[in-house]
Amino acid sequence: MQGVGAVAPPTVPVDSGNRRTGSTNRSRQQSSRAGRIGIGVAVALLLVFTLLPAYWMISTAFDKNAAFRGADLIPSGWTLDNFDRVFSDDTFGLYLRNSLLVAGVTVIAGALVTLLAAVAVARFQFRFRTAVIVMILIVQMVPLEALVIPLFIQVRQYGALNSLLALSVVYIAFSLPFGIWMLRGFVAAVPKEIEEAAYVDGAGWWRMFFSVLLPLVAPGLVATSVFSFITAWNEFIFALTFMSDDEKYTVTVGLQKFFGQNTAEWGPIMAASTVISVPVIIFFTIAQRRISSGLTAGGVKG
Amino acid sequence: MKFRSAVVAGAALLLTVSACGSNDAGSGGSGDAQKLTVWIMQGTNPDATSFFDSVKADFQKENPGTTLDVQFQPWGEAHDKFTTAIAGGTTPDVAEVGTTWTPEFAAAGALEDLTERVGAGKDNLVQGLVDAGTVDGKLYGMPWYAGVRSFVYNKDIFDKAGVKPPTTWAEIEAVATKIKSSQPDVIPFAVAGECTYCAMPFVWGAGGEVATDNGGTWTAAIDSEKAQKGLDFYTGLATKGFSTPAAQTWKETDLLKAFESGKTAMVITGNWTLTKIATDAPALKDKIGAFPIPGETGGIAPSFLGGSHLGMFKTAKNKDLAYKFIQLMTSDKYAAQWAQQANYFPGSKTALDAATKTDDPAVAPFAKQMTDGGKSMPVTPAWGKVEGAKTLTKLIQSVVTGKATVADATKTAATEMNALFKG
Amino acid sequence: MVDTQRLSRTTRPWLLLAPALVVLGALLIWPLVRVVQLSLQDFTLSNLVSGEDNYIGFGNYTEMLSSPLLWKTVLPNTVVFAVVCVVGTVALGTAVALLLHRLGPVWKWICSTAVMVAWAVPALTGTYVWVWLFDPLDGLVSHVLTALGLFDPSTTNWFTDRVSFYAIAALNVIHHGFPFVAITILAGLVTVPKELYEAAEIDGANAWKRFRSITVPVLKPVFAVVTILSTIWDFKVFTQVYLMPGGSGGNDEVLNLGVWSYQQSFAQGEYGKGAAIAVLLTVLLLLITAVYLRTLFKEKEL
Repeated sequence: MQGVGAVAPPTVPVDSGNRRTGSTNRSRQQSSRAGRIGIGVAVALLLVFTLLPAYWMISTAFDKNAAFRGADLIPSGWTLDNFDRVFSDDTFGLYLRNSLLVAGVTVIAGALVTLLAAVAVARFQFRFRTAVIVMILIVQMVPLEALVIPLFIQVRQYGALNSLLALSVVYIAFSLPFGIWMLRGFVAAVPKEIEEAAYVDGAGWWRMFFSVLLPLVAPGLVATSVFSFITAWNEFIFALTFMSDDEKYTVTVGLQKFFGQNTAEWGPIMAASTVISVPVIIFFTIAQRRISSGLTAGGVKG
Repeated sequence: MKFRSAVVAGAALLLTVSACGSNDAGSGGSGDAQKLTVWIMQGTNPDATSFFDSVKADFQKENPGTTLDVQFQPWGEAHDKFTTAIAGGTTPDVAEVGTTWTPEFAAAGALEDLTERVGAGKDNLVQGLVDAGTVDGKLYGMPWYAGVRSFVYNKDIFDKAGVKPPTTWAEIEAVATKIKSSQPDVIPFAVAGECTYCAMPFVWGAGGEVATDNGGTWTAAIDSEKAQKGLDFYTGLATKGFSTPAAQTWKETDLLKAFESGKTAMVITGNWTLTKIATDAPALKDKIGAFPIPGETGGIAPSFLGGSHLGMFKTAKNKDLAYKFIQLMTSDKYAAQWAQQANYFPGSKTALDAATKTDDPAVAPFAKQMTDGGKSMPVTPAWGKVEGAKTLTKLIQSVVTGKATVADATKTAATEMNALFKG
Repeated sequence: MVDTQRLSRTTRPWLLLAPALVVLGALLIWPLVRVVQLSLQDFTLSNLVSGEDNYIGFGNYTEMLSSPLLWKTVLPNTVVFAVVCVVGTVALGTAVALLLHRLGPVWKWICSTAVMVAWAVPALTGTYVWVWLFDPLDGLVSHVLTALGLFDPSTTNWFTDRVSFYAIAALNVIHHGFPFVAITILAGLVTVPKELYEAAEIDGANAWKRFRSITVPVLKPVFAVVTILSTIWDFKVFTQVYLMPGGSGGNDEVLNLGVWSYQQSFAQGEYGKGAAIAVLLTVLLLLITAVYLRTLFKEKEL
């Protein structure tokens, strides 16, 4: 939290793009030393705040005495036993594969559905438009825990229990509201003239969509994809209740196996959590690279 | 035109995605009559996989043409898993059901009455587990395995303080006092605010009851003089400073952590934790001792007998086959093997007798506690609600944090309990 | 020709929306209706088994609304906690986004990955780690504070006190929630035309003024989205409270609406009462969101 003060907006907003244009403005020179120190402090605080819990998780995963580590910053002994325990039977690997499948479908199919809907509400005026937008928000408001049973019965009626793909569709539903609301803004920000220029060049709507709209909303799409990936990846209660085969569980359910009725295996729990966190980071790194490339593409055309 | 076909394609993709799921609508009971689906809780027995390989081989040999499908379920949120399955009619044929859940599921009409099938075999079942699985005189849960909580102590700390395991309540306090004075950085006895089963032995040990049954109507008795006296002693150990404030919100897992760290002299914990302590903290391996929870002036105070039943769900297609599986699981051979691998006690008397004839000094006190002083919580479907409302946890926490006196807190708890009993 | 164009103008948005509406309708709207139906019933596990309805009118609502627990404990906890979390999450997320936007590519990558790490750690694991760090007896924070002479572990357990309990929960929720805000706003920042800042700088606007007059208005839709969604999520916080010591119902003082609803439904088998609490939470969110939308947007902009 201390980071907030140090990074307070007043010192910040010089756009990074200025570096590229090589502008040398006075205000920047004046504030440069103080600004740099301020930024350095802010970065340090940010890193400590964001990484401390993760550091604790990872180092405990390697800790011999994970169960009672206490306040020691550095574990009392290093071991790979906890990871061995996690992968001792094949199920965790299987759960990882299931999670990747579910998250993959959620991200890809979800992005398409979201983008289409976002274009509809951002680019068209039609009756009930406001109602649709608000409804998309409302469905998010019910606590998920209250939805477990009704949704379970519903999915059962569709005959879609025990299906990883159906679980993906549920996660798409969970991540749609954010995605639509987010992308709506990005689509609206694209000037109509750019679109029209594409039509003048003889492109159809679909071609315009792919070559003009898509690159320009790419940064937003990355944010929504990261969001839907994490939604699908970290969800637990639906993944547990919807599957009747224990071979179809996802990693977060796999994590639960280290909790007994009145006991917990802290070392393996932290090791499994570490393993669970890694794909999210990888996905984000890949996605982020796409932002910059998408941006350059969009920038050239715009 | 192009655009429209694209949207159609998108929608079609979506439908395909959701349709892919429709290959297997039902689960568990809705399968064919020769297939038996069983849910077993994960993590109780580290050798569960090989155990069930052997069970499967035997079962399919005895019942040719059948398949046994054992699904391991995590304990975490297992109750939710059961509830949704009950709501959707997708329960398995047979499942391991925690003893405190059996009356709840039975009263809701989800479990099959096993009384007739068990018949005279009932006499060989551990009484505490039979009680816990009986609703209105009918048995809904087949006793499978059980465990009990007793005192576990750190021998090193006891030796340093020059004390021996206490046999009365007064001695508990005396031992704690000596430990505190000789080793100030040690917690003599951790009173965990979220462990109700740790407190019950003191209610019962003082001759009190949680609630009493008057021909089917239950009334709270936690505010009786005797119950209050027991709770007064137990929580007094915390308020007199033998515990630590951090323990006010500890669960059983935290108690274990505290004991494993070697800085806690005594905790109340289950027999199933002994091997875990030895694995987690090898340094403590030879220093773990146990003794039964003493009654106020000696003897053994009753302790909660917890464990699991095997329940048959109403959705089971082939009930005879399902019961054959239950019989196989609770046969002396497999019951004893499971109990031994999982560090529990078997649910049948013959197997239990064999298991309790032990010289292991760490196991013997638990065996004694189990046979002499195993007791159930009130066996009424409404008890599930009292557990859900955490009435007893709130009672203990409010006293150890100093927010209420034992008298006030027990009154509050009794009022809440009576309201829940009325439904 | 004209007619087909008009037709496509009215049908196209609906075609674009169709996949999203199908998913939301089938998976969220109908179960939501079901939750409302449940809230009007005395519905227990036996009803789940038999599938029979048992309508009792508004009994659950009158009982809930006349409960002193709701007014004295649950509602204040929920509302105050959510306000703190939303403000904290959005402020920290915005500050971090501005910081990231200003950094060079290497540090930007390092910091944004660190931010993602905070998001990637599953909420369950994150909560356990925060609880360990704040363990009154043996946690890092308590050791540091004890060393500074600010804290005495032999007299205090901060999990039993409502304010300190929720302060720790808020830290956890903000830590897990701000990455979403930061990444989203960063995605928005890269689309702000640089020319706007350059023009403002020439006009002599200082950093704060540029932030207020350019960044905020251009990113208004993005801010609105993250604020509204953070509000929705922070009102519904469940895992992070439920898994805290005493948070699962052992201490009435720290109940919030999400945990209360879950406790009524799943722990006590009173699905009707649990649903009524969930509906109350939904209505509350609906009102708050309506106010937001009113103040943030004109009808046309929505």
